Amino acid sequence: MENLSTEAIVVIVTTIVAALAIVIGTMIPTWVEGKACEKAIEGMARQPEAAPQLRTAMIISLALLETASIYVLLVVLVLLFANPLLKLLGG
Amino acid sequence: MTVIEHPIIFTLFGLPVRDTVVFTWITMAVIIAIVLLLKLLKPNLLEMILEMIIGIVDDAMDVDDLHPYIPLLGSLMVFVLVANLISIVPVMKSPTADINTTIGLALVIVLSVHIYGILKKGFWTYLKEFASPIVLFPIELIGQVSRTLSLAMRLFGNVLSGDLVVAIVFSIIPSVLPIAMIAISMISGALQAYVITTLAALFISSAVEINEEDQRVKAEKAARKKLKKLRKELANGES
Repeated sequence: MENLSTEAIVVIVTTIVAALAIVIGTMIPTWVEGKACEKAIEGMARQPEAAPQLRTAMIISLALLETASIYVLLVVLVLLFANPLLKLLGG
Repeated sequence: MTVIEHPIIFTLFGLPVRDTVVFTWITMAVIIAIVLLLKLLKPNLLEMILEMIIGIVDDAMDVDDLHPYIPLLGSLMVFVLVANLISIVPVMKSPTADINTTIGLALVIVLSVHIYGILKKGFWTYLKEFASPIVLFPIELIGQVSRTLSLAMRLFGNVLSGDLVVAIVFSIIPSVLPIAMIAISMISGALQAYVITTLAALFISSAVEINEEDQRVKAEKAARKKLKKLRKELANGES
């Protein structure tokens, strides 16, 4: 570890953190979306005449839930392609 | 990564024009060309598309008259749909994979929500209903900003992640596998056009809806006043 430069350590830690963040940050929203879909499909099976309204509500709530994982993706993209920590070290 | 970088293509009167702007112009030209072609060759199909858009907006909105909202919401949906799907042409990049485009669209949506509300209810009534518990007014303002940001980020992130996954898979296995990823990104692009239209319709619908409870209270008060006046006149007549 001693012969690694500070920049190299920052790059390694950033990569590990980015991989962990994208794994956890897509796993949890996907799990919650699955629960939402499950309830909506149960409702559709119980009341087929209410299916169009349920489908619209389901798609909108899925899009809103998806926003959480999109935020994680944006943070990871910033960490990987425009790392502010490296700029802090360089400047 | 060519998906993320946006190089300057040329300068117009000293203003740098990036490739996103050029692709936006191409998108607009494609939409206009498709509409003109359909109008010449198959007017029925054009009518069917319009009916479909009206149906989607009508599902989301709870208002009597849809006419003032169809031009904005319909053109928003068509533009976002074509802009998301245009990245399947090899040299093109989606204009919506740049955050400037999506923030512009989100600003248009949020401003038009307030403009429709003011046009429907009048300035002071709208402001009074907007800040009805005055304690919550700052929170409402923060909500407007975060609504804009989340609309922009959702569209940008979805389109960019689709394009990025296609680029990464293409750089690893350039044969058959990218086709599946392109198909997934096309489906999510069409879905995002639907979602952003529905959300804009919901926001506008919540801004222009008339508070029925207030209306009822006002009508009751007016009726009571009239009754009082009538009783007074009756008493005057008897005496």
